[in-house]
Amino acid sequence: MTLDSSLDRRTFLARIGLLGAAVGTGGLVPANATAQTVNPLPDLVALLRPVLAELARDTLNGLTAFVFPGPDEYSAAQGTPRDEPGAAEAKTTEFMIAALDNFVPFPDRLAQPIAAAVATGTADSGIPLPGIEQLPQETATLDDALGALLENDATIPLSLSIAGMLNLVATQVNPAAVNGAFLSPFARLSYTDKAQVFQRIEQANSDLVAMLDAEFPEPSKDAVSGLLKFVGGALLEFVAYGSLTEWAVLTEDKRLTARPVGWDLTGYLPDGPVEGWDDFKGYYQGRREVHD
Amino acid sequence: MRDVIVIGAGAGGPVVAKELAARGLDILLLEAGPRHDQPREQWTHFENDANNPLTGFFRLGPADRSKPAWYREWPQNSFVWQLSGIGGTTQHFYGNYPRAYPGVFNDYSGADAGNYDRAHQFPFGYAEMVPYFEWVEATAPVMTAAMGTKEEVFFRGCESLGLPVQTTKTTREPSYRPQENAILQPGGNAGRTTDTNLLQYPRATGCTMCGFCFQGCMEPVNAPRNQFAKRSTDNSYVPMALTADVWAEHGKPVELIADAYVTQIHAEDRGGTLTATGVTWRDNATGHKRREDAQVVVMAGGCTENPRLWFNSGLPNPNDWVGRGYTDHFFDWLIGVMDHDTGSSKGPGSSARLDFPGYGGLENVGLPPALQAFSATLSDSGIRGEYDNGRGQPGTWDGPAGRLIGPELKDLLLNGVNRLLNVLVITDDDVEADNRVTLSSFPADENGPVARVQFQHRQRTMRTIRNREFMANKAAELLRGTGAKSVYRIDWAPLILHVQSSMRMGESPDNSVLDATAESRAVKRLFIADNSALPNAVGGPNPSLTTQALATRTAEKIFQRYFDGDPWVHSEAPTVSTDPRISVRLGELGL
Repeated sequence: MTLDSSLDRRTFLARIGLLGAAVGTGGLVPANATAQTVNPLPDLVALLRPVLAELARDTLNGLTAFVFPGPDEYSAAQGTPRDEPGAAEAKTTEFMIAALDNFVPFPDRLAQPIAAAVATGTADSGIPLPGIEQLPQETATLDDALGALLENDATIPLSLSIAGMLNLVATQVNPAAVNGAFLSPFARLSYTDKAQVFQRIEQANSDLVAMLDAEFPEPSKDAVSGLLKFVGGALLEFVAYGSLTEWAVLTEDKRLTARPVGWDLTGYLPDGPVEGWDDFKGYYQGRREVHD
Repeated sequence: MRDVIVIGAGAGGPVVAKELAARGLDILLLEAGPRHDQPREQWTHFENDANNPLTGFFRLGPADRSKPAWYREWPQNSFVWQLSGIGGTTQHFYGNYPRAYPGVFNDYSGADAGNYDRAHQFPFGYAEMVPYFEWVEATAPVMTAAMGTKEEVFFRGCESLGLPVQTTKTTREPSYRPQENAILQPGGNAGRTTDTNLLQYPRATGCTMCGFCFQGCMEPVNAPRNQFAKRSTDNSYVPMALTADVWAEHGKPVELIADAYVTQIHAEDRGGTLTATGVTWRDNATGHKRREDAQVVVMAGGCTENPRLWFNSGLPNPNDWVGRGYTDHFFDWLIGVMDHDTGSSKGPGSSARLDFPGYGGLENVGLPPALQAFSATLSDSGIRGEYDNGRGQPGTWDGPAGRLIGPELKDLLLNGVNRLLNVLVITDDDVEADNRVTLSSFPADENGPVARVQFQHRQRTMRTIRNREFMANKAAELLRGTGAKSVYRIDWAPLILHVQSSMRMGESPDNSVLDATAESRAVKRLFIADNSALPNAVGGPNPSLTTQALATRTAEKIFQRYFDGDPWVHSEAPTVSTDPRISVRLGELGL
C-alpha cells in the first residue's frame, strides 16, 4: 500500500494517534526540523521516541480504565467513573508496559510486521475523519521519522504496536475520536465504543486481517487472524489479572511496600499473607476414607 | 549408555523414573525448566510473583527469570497453561485424584455405554487399571479431603440437586462427594489457627489451608520436602526417585538434570525396525548441547511439547496422528455471588466435586483475587451486554454468558473474593483430530520450531457441546441451591489446563500413536508416560491419577520387555512417598 498524498499521510498518522501525540506533548517536533539538511532523521527518531512512549501509555490508560475503572479521568471520559480505586491506582498501565516491552517473548520478526502494518495499512480505508484540518502540517517529517523508526529500530516496543492497533481500530469505530482530550483516540472512546474495538479485534475484522497480511512474511500469513483473536482476549484478561495483583507494591526482594489495591478492594488477606487459615470444618458426613 | 532416559519431570515422567529406579535401573531424568529445591527462598505466596505467565516462577521458560519465557502459538482466544520446572503443572495443581470413569475403558458394558467416546476408548479394561490406581493412591498418598467453608457451601448446593453421595473410589453414577486428593490432610494445628508460630512442622502437619495451592505448596513451614501437604511430584515422586537407594531394596537414585531442554530424540534402523537410541539436550544457561544414549527413551514433556519434539526430531508419523486428538475438558466457569462468607481464597483449591459419568463433572474452585479476575474475563462470548461473538448462551444463569469487564467486573470483585463461589465445568470431551499440535510457522526459538496449539473450539462434536451445556446448567442449579444472589456463566475460551491424549494410545493403529503398552508404534524403545499418552479425556475426572497409574503400568511394561524383569504391582506393597527414610536422605542431600 502506498501513501500518495499529504492528506493520506495525515489521515494515517492521525488514525494511529501520532499527530495528536506530537501536539499533546508540547510539539516535540522542532519547527525547523524539515529545514535541516544534514541527516535529520536520527534526531527526529530520538524526538519521537518519548512521544510514542507517551502515546502508548495514554492508550493503555484508556485500556486499563476500560477493564477496571476507577476515579481517574480515563474512566470518567468513557462514562464509567467509580469512587473506589481502579487500574490507575493499581498501576496496571505500568504493569502492562513492563510486560509488553520487556517480557513478552514475541519475536521481532512478528513484532515488526505488526508495527509496519499499523503504520502503513490505513491510508485508503475510506473513513472520513472530521477535524483533520485542525491537525498540524508536519506530516512529511513525522511520516519520514516513523518510517525511519520502523526501518531502523529492531526493537519497536510491543506496547506501541498494541497501542497503534487500538487507536487504529478506535478511529474506525468512531472517526471523531481523532480529536479530543488525551493523546490517544482509543482513550477518547466511550465504554461501548471501546467494547466495539475489542469486538473487531477479537472477531478478526477482515480489514485488520488484510492489513496485517500485507506485512507478514510467508509462511506466517495464515496465522494473522488467529493472532488477533488471541491478542483481543489476552489484553483484557491480562489487564484484569494485573489490576488485582501485588505487582505495583512488591520489591525485588519480595517485600510489600503497601497493601495491594486489589487486596483492599476484594477483602483478600485482611491481615497480610499467612501460612494457614483456621478454616477446617471437619469431614463431610464424618467420612474420612472411602473404598470400593 | 543409560538404561532409561526420561524427558520431563511433570506429572508422569517422575513416576516412570521412580518405579524403574526402585528396580535398580540407571535413570537419567531431564527437565527443561527450573529446579526449585529451596522453595522458601525461591517462592512466595504472591500471585504475580508466582503465576505471571511471562515472569512468574511458575511459567514456561528457563530457570533464569531474567530471560524471556518460551512463547507458543495459540491461533485462537485461549490460554495454554504450561509450566516448566520439576513438578511440571503439578506444581500449581490442586491435587485432585479422582479415578477415570469406568465408561472410558474397553471392558465397559453399562447401560450408558453409548454416552462415552467409544471410538477412542482405553485399549484395556478398567479392572486391569484398578491395581495401578491403588498403587498410586497408596504412594501419593490420596486421602478424602476435609471441608472448609467453601466446601460446606458447595455441598449445600449439591444437596439441593437430589443426587447421592459417592462413598467409593470408583464413580458409577451421578453423585457428589469430597475430593479424593493427593493432599496430606490437616493435622495438629493445621487448619485450626492463623498463627504462623503454631503452624510450624511438626506442630502442624499436612494442609494448613493456606489457600496457595496455585502458588506452590511448601506447607507446613519447616516440614521435610516429602512431607509438604500437596503431593505435586516435586514433593512426592521426585524425592522418591532421588532417594531410591534408601527405600527400595535394590534401588538406585536417579540422576536429575534441570534447565535441560531436549531438542532431539535419536533413532536408528536396527534390522528394519526404527529404534530410539538416545537424546540431545541443550543447557538453558550455557547453550551447550549434550548427547546421551539409552536403551529406552521415555517422553513426558506434556501434551504440547511431546509432538513438537517428535516433529523436530524428524520421527515418522505414518498415520498423521502425532499431536492430534488433543482433549482439554472444554472447561467452562460459573461464578455465584453470595451475600455470605464462602472462604473462597482459603484452603485447598478444590475439595469437593460432583460427577456425572457420560457428561463430565463439576468442582468448586477457590481463587485469590487476580486469578479470580482472570477467570471472569476469559470468555469466548465477548463482553456481556456489548457483544457476544455469536454466542452468549442464555440459560439458568443470569443474562447471557460472557466476560465481565469494567463496572460489572468491579462490582463482582467488590462483593468480596471470599463471598464468591466458583464452579468449574469439566466436560467429557471427544477426541477430535483437528484439535492438535503442529509446528508453528512463526520464528523458531533457541530449541527449534515451536508448537502451535489449535483448538476448533466452536466446532466441537455434538456430544461434547451437549455435555458442556448440560454440566453448565447443572452448575447454575447447584449455585442457585447455595443461595447465590446472582450467577454468571463466563463461557470460557479454551483454558487448556487439563490436557490429554495428543500422543494417544489406542486400539486401532489408524488413530493412535502408541500401542496398548504406551510404546510408540513407529519407533521401538520409545515410550510416552504423561497425559499425552491417555487414549481420551478419561471421562472428565482430573487426569493426574490416571496418568500416574498408566505410567506405573508403562514402567512395568518397559521393565518386562527390555530388561527381562518381572512386574511388581500385583506382588509387592508400595512405599508411601512420605516415608521418613526419604525425609532423612533428603536432609542429607540438602534438599
